[in-house]
Amino acid sequence: MAVVPTPNPNGMPQTAAWRTRFRREWREWLLFVLFVFPNLFLFGVFNYWPLVYNFYLSFVDWNFLRADILWVGFRNYERVFTSNKFYEILWNTVVFSVSSFIFTLILGLAIALLLNQRLQGRNLVRAVVFSPTMLSGAAIAVIWTYIFDPRYGLLSEILGFVGLPSPNWLTSTFWAMPALIIVYVWKNMGYSVIIFLAGLQTISKDLYDAARVDGANAWERFVHVTLPGLRPIVFFLSVTTVLQSFQAFDIIRVMTAGGPANATNTLIYHLYELGFVSFNAGQAGVIAVVLFIIMFTLTVIQFRFMDQSDHGER
Amino acid sequence: MNKLLTRRELLKGALAGGSFALLAACGAAPQAPPAPAATPAPAAPATEAPAVIGQTGSTVEITYWGSFSGALGEAEQAMVNNFNSSQSDVKLNYEYQGSYEETAQKYAAALRAGTIPDVVLLSDVWWFGFYLAEAISPLDDLAAKAGIDFADYEPVLLNEGVRKGVHYWIPFARSTPLFYYNKEMWAEAGLPDRAPATWAEFGEWAPKLMGDNRVAFSHPNGASYVAWLFQGVTWQHGGRYSTPEFEMTMLDPNTVRAGEFYGATTNTLKWANLSADLNQDFIGGATASMLASTGGLAGITKAAKFEVGVGFLPEETNFGCPTGGSGLAIPSAAPDEKKLAAMQFIKFATDENGSSTWSRSTGYMPVNVKAVQSADMQAFFAENPNFRTAVEQLPKTRAQDAARVFVPNGDQIIGRGLERILVNGEPAERAFAVVNKELEDAAEPVIRDLQAREG
Repeated sequence: MAVVPTPNPNGMPQTAAWRTRFRREWREWLLFVLFVFPNLFLFGVFNYWPLVYNFYLSFVDWNFLRADILWVGFRNYERVFTSNKFYEILWNTVVFSVSSFIFTLILGLAIALLLNQRLQGRNLVRAVVFSPTMLSGAAIAVIWTYIFDPRYGLLSEILGFVGLPSPNWLTSTFWAMPALIIVYVWKNMGYSVIIFLAGLQTISKDLYDAARVDGANAWERFVHVTLPGLRPIVFFLSVTTVLQSFQAFDIIRVMTAGGPANATNTLIYHLYELGFVSFNAGQAGVIAVVLFIIMFTLTVIQFRFMDQSDHGER
Repeated sequence: MNKLLTRRELLKGALAGGSFALLAACGAAPQAPPAPAATPAPAAPATEAPAVIGQTGSTVEITYWGSFSGALGEAEQAMVNNFNSSQSDVKLNYEYQGSYEETAQKYAAALRAGTIPDVVLLSDVWWFGFYLAEAISPLDDLAAKAGIDFADYEPVLLNEGVRKGVHYWIPFARSTPLFYYNKEMWAEAGLPDRAPATWAEFGEWAPKLMGDNRVAFSHPNGASYVAWLFQGVTWQHGGRYSTPEFEMTMLDPNTVRAGEFYGATTNTLKWANLSADLNQDFIGGATASMLASTGGLAGITKAAKFEVGVGFLPEETNFGCPTGGSGLAIPSAAPDEKKLAAMQFIKFATDENGSSTWSRSTGYMPVNVKAVQSADMQAFFAENPNFRTAVEQLPKTRAQDAARVFVPNGDQIIGRGLERILVNGEPAERAFAVVNKELEDAAEPVIRDLQAREG
């Protein structure tokens, strides 16, 4: 590679300067392409192309096996949107995601506040709280299936100790969803605890001291110092938690398989059922499109919200 | 300056190298061998692999995809080992793929990817879809070459895998439901040591079997195939899921009556519940009885700390009991010499000796008539009368309704409806109206494909 002589903007004709600049920009652009290409290529192959192909699949009648793929227009959409089951499943998904989101954030924050104190053995407790996040969802689901058993499960023992009867957690249409939410929150809360802890440590001590001097009590300090300081963390966690909960599959597959009577059937599980049990590529495609639209909309709303609040703070 | 340049160049070089490696990898993909050649590589190149029979000194290596793990998996592996040591023409590799459902899913994916096995185990609810897609071979010629006589097979089981007079699916791990009961609890309740003859009789017995943390009877959930067991109960009440021509009959008064009976067991009579893990509840003493597959007989007998009793399914207005389980099929795209090698294995697994060994170690039905009559099997029956019960019930069984076995996900559609009745106490008619509609929608493409396939 030839060494480009340092240009002298004053002593050089304009065209030559322009050419040098163009060449440099072109080089930088090439470098940029080289940098992003490997990533973009992988994204294209594994994310964007399946996304586009899925839109196509939602308009066809195909079972993965047949050689011919029939174009059926909007019939798959009509089938899905006119069935009560779809709305039942959509509602389940909303209940699961909203509850998981609320409990993960509230409990996560509460535990983070506790672990932010100077307590003995808090590093150990932090590790314990975080550990379920690292475990395999399927393994956790199997263990919790035993814990929930109304006859010989650990939870029924504990409830029995305080004189309460154990519900039929996984075989009752009322309790199956709460059971899944408990497991999901238990598994994922550790992550939000760690992020909240990191957030709490970025809040300047001076602010607390100033609040104290002004006579604020603990609750007032929490509301007026801690919470505003955690705002970006709350936004970050709400995006990740909601998006993740929409994709929860492993514990549902293992613990309830969407049952009993569709009580725990969520969009992602229904997508699996339609696609990989019924081999109905078209209707599974429709559900994937619905999921995509929901998640895309949520992400856009959340990012807008985040931008606004950032501006507000500055 | 010099230093900066070096670092940039290094980065550029690395990036360019990385991208090209990636491009090269992609460029190579379309040149991958076409589907048939992409089957798991044989020990010797395919061109050199001679026909299985008639030549010695060379081995055809084939792959078998199955769904057995745990005790059943050990029995399966033992069978594969015996096959491999019994001859030197074929070397069979057993690859466990997960449940019946997962095996079928992987097979479907393998068909797209062109990396198929040479023998595949498909359950009662899966083989038909692959037949419609022409993804499994007709077996009559292969069977003749391998020396299989179809007259040796239990006709009830064999005929389920026949379409238009051609065999596609050979019975292997076939089962029927049985009535399982806990003999200790039966004795405590002062009941005769047998399964109830009718549901009415069981209704009289059930209150005596109830206890703290214990019910008289448990149903499995939808995921554990409640729709398979209810198939028999529907027939017992004179109903059915559908006609063979895919007309859905979930709203037939007798089918609804059977649904109401099932609902009553958990909602009004309250002697039954829905179990999240049926076999475990039975073994652990949380339920006194259940309907469950013969395939679990060996495992349950071994795990239970009490004596296990089994009997025919109870009757209502009729007797009714479906067959179930899985059979073996050969992918259409497998190379001919591998198909023949695969057929050799199917013969080994289902002949008098193979069927008898498999049946004795698992509890699955002996699919071979000669196996039932064999001295080994008769001696085994004398020692284990429970296994004899399963075989004696076999002639009274019949193939399941199209709605459950030929409609994609039909089993789960019916299962979910039953859960609504069993758990939510919904009226059977309302729950089955939803099921009927869902079955009709799901059957639509099957009816069309069937028309195209069979005319």
